[in-house]
Amino acid sequence: MSYVMIENLHKTYGASTVLSTIDMTIEKGEFVTLLGPSGCGKSTILRIIAGLTDATSGTVNIDGIDMQNVQPKNREIGMVFQSYALFPNMTVKENVAFGLKMKKIDPREIDEKVREMLAIVHLSDKGNAYPNELSGGQQQRVALARALIVRPKVLLLDEPLSALDAQIRKKLQSDLRSIQMELGITMILVTHDQEEAMAVSDKIFVMNKGGIAQRGTPTEIYTKPESEFIANFIGHYNVFTRAELEHMVGMKLPSECAKFAIRPEAIYFEAGAKNFHMSGIAIESVMSGNVIRTVFQSGERTFSVEQLHHRGHFVEIGKAYECYVEPEDVIELT
Amino acid sequence: MKKRGLSDLFFLFLVLYLLFPILATALYAFATNWNNTILPEGLTFKWLASLFQDTSFIEAFGRSVLLSGGAVILAFIFVVPAIFIIVLYFPKYEKWMQTAVVMVYAFPGVILAVGLIRTYSQLGIPMILAVLGAYVISILPYIYQGTRNSLRNVNAKQLLDVAELLGASKLQAYLKVLLPAVYPGLFAGALLSFSVLFGEFVLINLVVGSRFETVQIYLMKKLSTSGHIASAVVFLYLVLMGILTISISILTKRSRGVAKT
Repeated sequence: MSYVMIENLHKTYGASTVLSTIDMTIEKGEFVTLLGPSGCGKSTILRIIAGLTDATSGTVNIDGIDMQNVQPKNREIGMVFQSYALFPNMTVKENVAFGLKMKKIDPREIDEKVREMLAIVHLSDKGNAYPNELSGGQQQRVALARALIVRPKVLLLDEPLSALDAQIRKKLQSDLRSIQMELGITMILVTHDQEEAMAVSDKIFVMNKGGIAQRGTPTEIYTKPESEFIANFIGHYNVFTRAELEHMVGMKLPSECAKFAIRPEAIYFEAGAKNFHMSGIAIESVMSGNVIRTVFQSGERTFSVEQLHHRGHFVEIGKAYECYVEPEDVIELT
Repeated sequence: MKKRGLSDLFFLFLVLYLLFPILATALYAFATNWNNTILPEGLTFKWLASLFQDTSFIEAFGRSVLLSGGAVILAFIFVVPAIFIIVLYFPKYEKWMQTAVVMVYAFPGVILAVGLIRTYSQLGIPMILAVLGAYVISILPYIYQGTRNSLRNVNAKQLLDVAELLGASKLQAYLKVLLPAVYPGLFAGALLSFSVLFGEFVLINLVVGSRFETVQIYLMKKLSTSGHIASAVVFLYLVLMGILTISISILTKRSRGVAKT
């Protein structure tokens, strides 16, 4: 039996359905991400797991216990929000100690645990500061420490890094993953950032319109998108109809599929024995640090190619190029 | 630079225009005699001292504090919890609250006074209680805005959720987390309401009459007997309002600090 089991979960608000037929299993100590665009219902799942929102139907089972009649305060679930939700009238130490005080733990033990937890989140010197004296990243670390100190069975993270700038976000992603591995806590992260999901997760549930569109490891999700939505959402996939692709490669495809996806980094300029061949005129090239993304025009369609940035731009805008892709990198979409 | 100089000049005129009557009144409260001279002939504390020796002033001051403070306390007992519940759990009803707030401004004092007299004089309810009730309603805009803004600034719903997830009961979440977080805003609303009610004259004068003498009614009576004493009353009133304004400003700044988190 899995540690967290969500079965046949539905949530409606009046006539609008927010979640439909959600089934999930999460193992103990796993880092799972719910990934999807805004409004797809991922935060609602977290709130239902936490007991802050009631499901219309379905069950949530954690560590063998049905959560239907369990109050939020008795669920042993921690939650970290995008807006930190720190108690503004309390110092960092008091914020972190709050959960232990509610459990009526001995004050000396609380002091010791707070010290340990602040060390884990690298905030040992900020114990007496108030939340409004800290940066966004520091506040989120406090929120994390406050949720972790009570050793929850499951920690829910509702877009905790979305409000932070890119550099701090990357650092906290890595910290989050190492803390999760160090403490062995089951974590469920909600995000709309596919890079973040790929970077930290053991397993990803991609959500769309209140349902789960695909589930799998980050590699599975990235390399084998099952639908056009996943291909478009998860990266810069080139998605073609059968007719478009057959026209571009100049041959009939063996598959009966209606749509195909090709990763932009799977298209290159060196010919191989079994390659499909496409030609196009470079119309746009964008350098984003280590990657150069070039858009080619081929007939009515465009496709993009991503290559590692070795020695500056090498594609000349307006010039025709021959591009190649291996047949196994042409992914059939359902 | 020329533009700046002109705007500074206008600002100076505005400040003088606003401050001149206040300074003149304050000075008159301390003037021995000020009839045929540009400045007072001398300064004295006797008008101010005579006020504090006048039991009817002390009683009027007490009545004003009691009436204004009582209305604010009643609003905090009955209105604030209702606003908490509406803002946190039934936000769809906020539009009705907003309508009620606008209606408070829509009724002129005279019409309200006539309405209160016609409604309550035949029911045997003491008119002072009717005025107290009307005061509670009249400060609704200040209490509502202060409470709602405080709750929104601290993201109250989320604070309550977090406190409960950390093991607090609903009552503990309110008492240990939410109230301490929003009290500066609530207190500022209370002070503002108190200062507005303390200066209220129309309702109390028309509905209850001069037998229930508040500071404003005392002031009206003194206007016809001694300009110096009337000025001393106004001076004391301004000092009290100044203290309240500074307190509100400090609390508002503290609320902003809370909002940053």
